[in-house]
Amino acid sequence: MTKVQLKGVRKEFGAFTAISQIDLEIASGELVALLGPSGCGKTTTLRMMAGLEVPTLGQILFDDEDVSEVRVQDRNVGMVFQRYALFPHMTVEKNVMFGLKVRGTPSDEIKRRLEEILDVVQLDQFRHRFPAQLSGGQMQRVAIARTLITNPSVLMMDEPLANLDTKLRGEMRRFIRDLQQRLGITTVFVTHDQVEAMELADRVAVIFNGELAQYDAPDALYQRPNSIEIADFMGASNIFKAQITGGIARTAFGDLQLDQTVCQVRDGSGHVLLRAEAIDLLLSDADADQNLIAGKVTGREFFGATVNYTVDCNGEAITVNEQSRRMVDVGQDVWLTIQPQRIWVIQNPV
Amino acid sequence: MARRQMKSALNTRLSSFQKIYLLLIAGFILGPFIPLIIQSFAFRWAWPDMLPSTWWLEQRDRSILPLAWDYVLSPYSRVWEATLNTVFIGTVVTAICLAICLPAARVLAREKFKGKAAFEFFLSMPLIVPEAAIGISLLMIFIKLGLAGSYLGIIIVHLIPTIPYMIRMLTAVYQGLGRDFEEQAMILGASKWQVMRLVTLPMLLPGVVAGALFTFLVSTNIFLLTFFMGQGQIITLPTLLFSKIAGGTLDASAAGITLVVTIPGIILLLITERFIKEEAFGKGFGN
Repeated sequence: MTKVQLKGVRKEFGAFTAISQIDLEIASGELVALLGPSGCGKTTTLRMMAGLEVPTLGQILFDDEDVSEVRVQDRNVGMVFQRYALFPHMTVEKNVMFGLKVRGTPSDEIKRRLEEILDVVQLDQFRHRFPAQLSGGQMQRVAIARTLITNPSVLMMDEPLANLDTKLRGEMRRFIRDLQQRLGITTVFVTHDQVEAMELADRVAVIFNGELAQYDAPDALYQRPNSIEIADFMGASNIFKAQITGGIARTAFGDLQLDQTVCQVRDGSGHVLLRAEAIDLLLSDADADQNLIAGKVTGREFFGATVNYTVDCNGEAITVNEQSRRMVDVGQDVWLTIQPQRIWVIQNPV
Repeated sequence: MARRQMKSALNTRLSSFQKIYLLLIAGFILGPFIPLIIQSFAFRWAWPDMLPSTWWLEQRDRSILPLAWDYVLSPYSRVWEATLNTVFIGTVVTAICLAICLPAARVLAREKFKGKAAFEFFLSMPLIVPEAAIGISLLMIFIKLGLAGSYLGIIIVHLIPTIPYMIRMLTAVYQGLGRDFEEQAMILGASKWQVMRLVTLPMLLPGVVAGALFTFLVSTNIFLLTFFMGQGQIITLPTLLFSKIAGGTLDASAAGITLVVTIPGIILLLITERFIKEEAFGKGFGN
């Protein structure tokens, strides 16, 4: 159980600034994702926490103790690399024991902890295999076991689900979550995939261009992004220019009533964010009372469980996502409605 | 198991044309050795006979061993001395070459620096410039330095054609060995020395063995440079063979020496082939 803090951390590689300044606090036992596009500095941040890079400025604290200058070998962190970095010339067993062997742990204790951890990751029957003889999910479990056996104070993972196929992804996601909660180990992982971040993390730190852009729980980040870039990165499709006056957003396709308890707005320009799944698509205008938008269906994408409709509303294309319990034909006139509390407004800070 | 199955699957798929083609290739590689072997057991084999007119077996009362082998095994042939020289020089060259190329390959595989492309091109220059040109120019320098006719001189010139091969081979191996493995070992608590001993070296080993084998074989086959630097004082198998056949006589003893020359390479290949094909490495680096 370790609390991790980054205080004014900056990292330069020669003339290139990878991280301009980051302040971040990760509570003990928390699972945090560092999310951002490639080259944003998230991997550098992780490597600094692990001790593979030394920050140019600022401090890294584990439980309020400055570890910025502590050697990687002495920092007692664990890292699971994206491609697992299992030693190909060692069996599963030898891979897992590596960390304890190099630390000179007595052999009977190594044996005991090996059995324990192989049981946790359910790899007992594969102990004499070489990494090349394992599947992707098994390799990842070996990598996790090899790290956890050393009892690291912080566990780090680089794109933990990226190399797995869809079916394994769900399995490994549950596995990692369960394990993390059971052991209560502070965990940080890096990803460029917002779905991976949301499905795994307690809190997500979005990093853009070497700076912390937003640090929030997944649902807050998804529903209430604080900039258009974040909304866009989190996969929002319906972002429209609006003029805000007295709790009402004027857009190209009509006026929208806002809920001021959900988002504090001030009069002036801004953008409204309408989540595609928060919009109801109606075939007649009789069923709705407010925020009614008239339009025409111009496109349909069928995904099985859900359908995406593209609706043209006075020149703006609004995407609506709904359960595929019915099919609305392209070309049909429809009405869209959205509840005021589901509308989020992004305004430039004053 | 899987590999064996794949092999048998390949076998069944070979057409008769492909089989003939394979036989032809084997014939071209092994064919030249057949007259050598016959020659080494002949007593008299003169033009235009297809086979020796007199075999050694028929003249056993006049020589206990075949003439060729009698000569090769006798101290007069200096084959034993040449073999020892060849193996000694080859071993030292391989060791020095590894010591130079391991760190160089690490940098070339992992770092980016100005002029890297030009440097890599420059590294292959010894393969492009004719050996005679290098040999004669170096000989002039080495005579002044007093290195001509010494083991040190020969070893230095042998490094010239072997380093480019070795660096190329090891660079490729290092590129296959990402930083991840070493960083992972460090995070797990391994010291620099433990990382080197337990992770880096074992993972590089197949490439190192292949590179060392190649360097050794190239070194044991260099004639011209050895001939220039050895000054006739240090003989190796290639120079011995050349002096034997330089007069134009291709007799039984020359055939015997030729066969001896091929032995170190074959032995080494047999030893290392097993080693390189270890199951753990047979399938790449596990990614």
